[in-house]
Amino acid sequence: MSGSYLTILLLLVCAVGFGVGPLVLAWIWAKAYSPEKPGPYKNATYECGLESKGVVWVQFKAEYYLYGIVFLIFDVEAIFLLPFAVAFTGLTAGACVAMLVFLFLLVEGLVWASRKGVLLST
Amino acid sequence: MIDEQLKIELSRQGIFTTTLEELYNWGRKNSVWPLTFGLACCAIEMIATTMARYDLARFGAEVFRPSPRQADLMIVSGTVTKKMAPQVVRLYNQMPEPKYVIAMGACAISGGPFKQGYNVLKGIDRYVPVDVHIPGCPPRPEALIHAFMTLQKKIDGQHLSGADRPRHLNEALPSEFVVPEYGAHDLEPRSNDLVWPLPMSKAVTQG
Amino acid sequence: MTIEQVQSEIQSAIPGAKVEIILNPSPSAQHSLLLDHEHVLAVATYLRDVSELRLDYCSNVTGIDWLPREKSEKVKVKNLVEGVEQEVEEVHKTVVPGYLEVVYHLFSVEKKHGPVILRLRTEDRAAKVHLPSLTPIWRAAEFQEREIFDLYGVIFDGHPDLRRILMWEGFVDHPMRRDYVEPDDYEYEPTPHDHVLQRSREESGRH
Repeated sequence: MSGSYLTILLLLVCAVGFGVGPLVLAWIWAKAYSPEKPGPYKNATYECGLESKGVVWVQFKAEYYLYGIVFLIFDVEAIFLLPFAVAFTGLTAGACVAMLVFLFLLVEGLVWASRKGVLLST
Repeated sequence: MIDEQLKIELSRQGIFTTTLEELYNWGRKNSVWPLTFGLACCAIEMIATTMARYDLARFGAEVFRPSPRQADLMIVSGTVTKKMAPQVVRLYNQMPEPKYVIAMGACAISGGPFKQGYNVLKGIDRYVPVDVHIPGCPPRPEALIHAFMTLQKKIDGQHLSGADRPRHLNEALPSEFVVPEYGAHDLEPRSNDLVWPLPMSKAVTQG
Repeated sequence: MTIEQVQSEIQSAIPGAKVEIILNPSPSAQHSLLLDHEHVLAVATYLRDVSELRLDYCSNVTGIDWLPREKSEKVKVKNLVEGVEQEVEEVHKTVVPGYLEVVYHLFSVEKKHGPVILRLRTEDRAAKVHLPSLTPIWRAAEFQEREIFDLYGVIFDGHPDLRRILMWEGFVDHPMRRDYVEPDDYEYEPTPHDHVLQRSREESGRH
């Protein structure tokens, strides 16, 4: 009884050791050989070589949320439509209706986005 | 230290011997990650080098990192204008040690055909230490691969300890280099004395 | 439509507009029209919208720097030479003051013809370097006028965004002007001679 759990525990220790071990080794190596050299340029915010202007913590506009939603609509649609199309001939009527309901929900989202004017590129 | 002849003899017998230093350098030289960084037409050759025909991935350098935080090598591929020079130096400063620079093409090493121009830096080696210079306008991908192998040789020859150990293992040597400022007529300073001495001075004074 | 016809058409449409034909003696014979500052916007609008030419496309804007130059004219003057009145040729030298010139090359996409070339001149090279911007008429002129502002120092009144485009903010010179003196940028040469050798001796004394 306890033997079977012991192997799992052993596996867990090995798995964690496999991940953490190299990090510890790297840390020891860095302490032993390569000195830290921080500096104002090195620690500065990376911005393609330009000096960053203003604060780094800025708020994004909520409109990005709409872009995210629209992206999700197309993305999820593609993922689920492909197996649907492949298995189309072997589907029962119930499955087909369920899929159409799903598509309807997505199209509804698209119509909603289009009504909001998100899809216009002006 | 193990004798070189003995090492060869042992490897013939099927026994592999190595040192920590060799292992360290072997790992480093085969995973040099360049920075995604192209300035002018030389960048096209650099891109060609990474593609299937020339295949820089053979040397472990196919991973071009878009952030200097993850890059080991800066390939200055193309004309460095004076307006661009502070950005190049700042990117170099933001790379973690150990870091290397390949100056690719006539413009990057000396200003090239634009040497007498008003807005072209006469070689990036005025501001950052360059490990390998590649002449050519632009250099062929083979030249970049050769430069890359030269850099690998250089990494392979570095020592883990001792007075001649490389910069990233030596606390006394700087990891940041001065970023030039835009002046009224030129960049200030014109060059970094740490990396750009006047080599002629001694030769002339000695006759 | 010949250049003379364009000139007369402009003059009849916009009263008071000074339009001078500048002949191009080269085989290309691309003659151009020199316009005055007051009427140039009206003329440009007319050329784009109203006239038969329909010049809707500004392909190119160029800057030229003209230094002050001497112009010699032969004048016959009556002089008393040894009591006898004789006609003697005298050479009068006059100095034409320098100015900056901007050249616009206009085409018509609609009518498929061109170019019609317009020229504008500033009053001098130092203080009165203002010209009316044609960016409100042809949007394509925006960056090129910025470049001329940057490299020649022509100030375009009415330009929506007149900033330096190639050089950095804070740069004071205009590098494409003929009297631009580039910063003293001594460069090491492997085999120095003449003034480079002289400079390298001086530099070695300093370091």
